[in-house]
Amino acid sequence: MKMKLDSFELRTKNEFDMINITERVHKFVEESGIEEGMVYVMTAHTTTSIIVNESLPCLETDIEEKLEEMVPKDAQYAHNHFLPSYGATGGNCPGHLKSMLCNYFAYFPVKDGKVVRGRAQEIYFAEFDGIQDRTVYMQVVGE
Amino acid sequence: MVIDVHTHAEFMEPMYKGDEVTRQRKEIMGREFLGYCDISMALFQMDHAGIDKRVLLPLDLTTQYGCTIVSNDEMKELVGEAPERFIGFASVDPYREDAVKELDHAFGELGLSGLKLNPSKQKFYPTDSIMKPVYEKCIEYGKPILFHCGTSWEPNTPAKYSKPLCFEEVAIEYPELRIGLAHFGWPWVQDTAMMLLKYPNVYADTSMLYCDRAKDFFHQIFKVDLSPLWIENMFSDKVMFGSNSPRFGEEDMKYGLEKLGLRERTLAKVLGGNAMKFLGMED
Repeated sequence: MKMKLDSFELRTKNEFDMINITERVHKFVEESGIEEGMVYVMTAHTTTSIIVNESLPCLETDIEEKLEEMVPKDAQYAHNHFLPSYGATGGNCPGHLKSMLCNYFAYFPVKDGKVVRGRAQEIYFAEFDGIQDRTVYMQVVGE
Repeated sequence: MVIDVHTHAEFMEPMYKGDEVTRQRKEIMGREFLGYCDISMALFQMDHAGIDKRVLLPLDLTTQYGCTIVSNDEMKELVGEAPERFIGFASVDPYREDAVKELDHAFGELGLSGLKLNPSKQKFYPTDSIMKPVYEKCIEYGKPILFHCGTSWEPNTPAKYSKPLCFEEVAIEYPELRIGLAHFGWPWVQDTAMMLLKYPNVYADTSMLYCDRAKDFFHQIFKVDLSPLWIENMFSDKVMFGSNSPRFGEEDMKYGLEKLGLRERTLAKVLGGNAMKFLGMED
């Protein structure tokens, strides 16, 4: 069994941002030399997610608005207090909760050296606490 | 014009001077998990938040810690990265024998825009006699002083040096010196209110967020702890937007002020007009 790990950086442009990373995952798998196996895509952060969904602006809007409705920016959160270990005040609890709701990784099978996914399944990096520089890890495992 | 009068310069990427210096600075300033931010990111964040200019603050801790948290020469270099967006302050340790000479260098040669002092960290009382030449040099150059005021999360910072009333006799003795009380002197906000009311040369910034989110915290301070109309009717010309970035999020702090429900002209003064007066940017 072979394994390959790689990562890339992203700069998000808003507090909420969805960046389509499908092509980057495909390229990584196709260049890995692994023909049969699986690929994992993982965000390195706790206020971001890896989302799999159809790439339509209307759906991106619905995802943003529904998450905001579920986890409103101006609600009261226990996280809103001074964190001595950071030397800063936690103000990003909505980002943590949205990340929890949307998950931090996605998995896809690899067959004949390519990512297997449904026709409408696009891979997004989702930002819930931008603007920031972010890291995404990809690991492909197989033969 | 929106001006953030209180941001810290040490974690902007050009100030990365190696891992050991970083470790020391984080330890001294109590910011263990905060990372570096490159200039392009800082400018992008400012644009997104609608902030035109940032005041960058250093701190000279030569006699207490044997180092500076960004030197005056480094500050000049940093401002040079975006001179239309960054306003660089100087700092000087008042216990340095060459303190006045260094101030002359910072104002006269480097062209820095004001002085940042932290009595709690630098261990002096604002009324100490060693401060007299420092104040006189600021007056000579027409430069303001932003004093740390009130509580500090940095280690080894007794509040006794920095309570708002510690600055009263300075305000009396040097009426031509523009004095900024950072962090609104929290938690002694009533004392800060008195200083703002009584002394025309005293200003305060809003870089306080010790509980809650900015929106809730500012509501508590400006609508509950102080009477709701005081900021409108009593010191609309004295309060300046300051975020304390990167300790507190610049955009979120601005949002908190915008949600106070201030009159438009008052908000404009708080977000930048008062800073322009304090900084001497007005004719």
